[in-house]
Amino acid sequence: MWKQYSGTTLNFISENTAPTAAIASNLQPFTDLTGITVNVLQLELGTMVQKVALDIGSGEGSYQIVYADPYQIVAPYHDALAELDEFNEDENLPSVPKGLEDFISTQLAAAGRFADENKLYGLPYDCPTMIWMYRKDLFEKYGDSMSQDLGFDPTPSASSTWGEYYQIAKWFNENQDEVPYGTGHQARQYDSLMCDFSNILWCYGGDYFDNEVVSSLGTVDPGPSTLDQPEALEAAAFYKKLLGIAHPGSVSWDWNATDEAFRTGQIAMTPNWHEFTAVDQDPAESEIAGKIGYSPLPKGPARNANMYGGSSIAINGASPVEEQRAAWLFLVWATSPDTMLMGMKSDVGGGTPTRRSLYELPEVKKEMKPPSDMPNLLTYDAVSEAWKPENIGLRPKIPSWNECDTIIYTEVSKMLADQKSPEEAMKTAKQYFDDAQSRARTLASRRMEVA
Amino acid sequence: MAAAQTEGRAKKSGNGGLSLEMKMLLPVLLLLAVLSFFPLFYIIWMSLNTVSLINGISFDFAGLANWTRMFTDEIVGAAWARAALYFVATVGLEMILGIAIALLVHELVWGKNLALSLILLPMFMAPVIVGLLGRFLTDSSYGLYAYVLRELGIFERDILGTASSALPAVILMDVWEWTPLIVLIVLAGLASVNQYVIEAAKVDGASYLERLRYIVAPSIAGVVTVALLVRSMDAIRYFDIITVTTNGGPGNTTKIIPIRLYETAFRFFDLGYAAAIGLGMLVFSILVANVFVRILESRGLAR
Repeated sequence: MWKQYSGTTLNFISENTAPTAAIASNLQPFTDLTGITVNVLQLELGTMVQKVALDIGSGEGSYQIVYADPYQIVAPYHDALAELDEFNEDENLPSVPKGLEDFISTQLAAAGRFADENKLYGLPYDCPTMIWMYRKDLFEKYGDSMSQDLGFDPTPSASSTWGEYYQIAKWFNENQDEVPYGTGHQARQYDSLMCDFSNILWCYGGDYFDNEVVSSLGTVDPGPSTLDQPEALEAAAFYKKLLGIAHPGSVSWDWNATDEAFRTGQIAMTPNWHEFTAVDQDPAESEIAGKIGYSPLPKGPARNANMYGGSSIAINGASPVEEQRAAWLFLVWATSPDTMLMGMKSDVGGGTPTRRSLYELPEVKKEMKPPSDMPNLLTYDAVSEAWKPENIGLRPKIPSWNECDTIIYTEVSKMLADQKSPEEAMKTAKQYFDDAQSRARTLASRRMEVA
Repeated sequence: MAAAQTEGRAKKSGNGGLSLEMKMLLPVLLLLAVLSFFPLFYIIWMSLNTVSLINGISFDFAGLANWTRMFTDEIVGAAWARAALYFVATVGLEMILGIAIALLVHELVWGKNLALSLILLPMFMAPVIVGLLGRFLTDSSYGLYAYVLRELGIFERDILGTASSALPAVILMDVWEWTPLIVLIVLAGLASVNQYVIEAAKVDGASYLERLRYIVAPSIAGVVTVALLVRSMDAIRYFDIITVTTNGGPGNTTKIIPIRLYETAFRFFDLGYAAAIGLGMLVFSILVANVFVRILESRGLAR
């Protein structure tokens, strides 16, 4: 069954993420198993999305296997991706080991499906999630003083609030000199700003749309934006206030720069992607290795929300059918528990599994406490809480998300640059969201007419 | 007589068909026409359509919708306004500094080559490297410029993250890189100024400023116009440094029209609309180039 496409060559295009680095460095087991050669092209996310879009546009399907970001690939181009159920149910092909149920359910819906829960476009492949990272050593050292001054226990936990986070950050600014600032944020006019702001938007009860499925399965028509609602305005006002006491560099930091500031001792805490842990805990790269604590992000008046940034891997529907079937073998292998375990042990990898069963293995559980050879697992308690349906933060999955993403991070950036009030920024964003949706609807209806 | 015969052959052969030269040039001319006109007509056609990439590229005729949208799109309008500001500031500063530095270097008696080599260095760097260098030097945690400005109490916020300083910062990065080109071009012009006339003016008692105004300036006006043309064409499509440093932010303060075009084409994949914006930039470039060519023509320097 595994050897039927021996001799085939496949191309896998991926963002330069830890799991792909691990797979690219150890493809021999797959080649031995199937006789298939896989060329891996790793690129920065934006460049990768462009290449995939242009490949889809060419109709060639040169990249048979695609790293499918749910918002930038699956939502706009799902019609050009192969539906995976027919491969999974095909008796002549291997099915997903341990079944689809073994994937974390929120991730399967968010990363693998679009609009229709009966159509599967991708298998969950990685799962970076934003959590609260803090300097454990500083919290231990100053915890009592902070507690006395602030009147609450400052130890980060899921029950901490954003209001408390603000007070802790301010306390660090004013009462110690081991780190220049209490908090830092990925607030550059970029995708990272949308991620950072969304956590607070959701916590305050705001959202981009009032639509039940837009964030889980996704939809072509989410309805009018709700960014002008009072909850969103309140969230925006708080975000501006929070950034007012953050490290001034925050407004030009993306996620990489924010993590760099954290691991070089510029800030005491930050909302950060959990997969940075591997580099943060590496003494060769980080000044704070062994001094980091992890918690889910603080909660707001409405809920706790932790931005999920995971992706799936998918098959290009424009590729020849035989190549699609060969690509399925790779998907099954790359997302299998054994391969994910191999990736976690890899010297160049360090991803986090999307499989439930892996977290139950004794050898994996052992690595969840320091010292750990799989440092990302040190965040497990925080991320497992973050992945619960009530805590996960899922941005809208709509075909026009790239434009809407640009709109929201531009307007929030204008707010942070004092060009607009929180209210003006949110109301303008709502208007532009609705304009973008209107164009997307027109495009969709034209496509329907043509079809 | 011989010249007249050659001219006659060049125009047409004796039997009224194409001359030998034209026949030899024709394949290349056709190839060039295909390479130039096919993309041009293709992009014009794209601007009249809604373009979809799903299952192969497809066109859905939209008439003038993309063009109408472009002329009413306030984000694109604001990007054009910023591009104009950026254009005037960079080209203006580069011309003033470039001419001033060239005049100074021209007067050097010794060390001229060393000074020129040092001055020209930035020009040989790739713009993306200039952007990365600029980002490093202005970083609020470890950047040298940020540190100096902060210690002097001049500016304490993040240089590239603050609306009032981001655009001046990227303008200065461009000026730092391309002023040397103006220096080089103007120095070439200064070398061609008739030294006998300068000496005669000195003998007649003309001051430095008078020599500059009445002898040097008219002599180098042509090359300065060429320098202006070259930098103007570049400034209109300025992209690399802004992408690396600010990505158009903060609050769109550095989002000039090429950044918006790139965003529309390769982030939103709204290719029909991007084609309209791109053609708008092309028309603007042609208009600017025409202005400079006319200036050159008026000075008899275009041929």
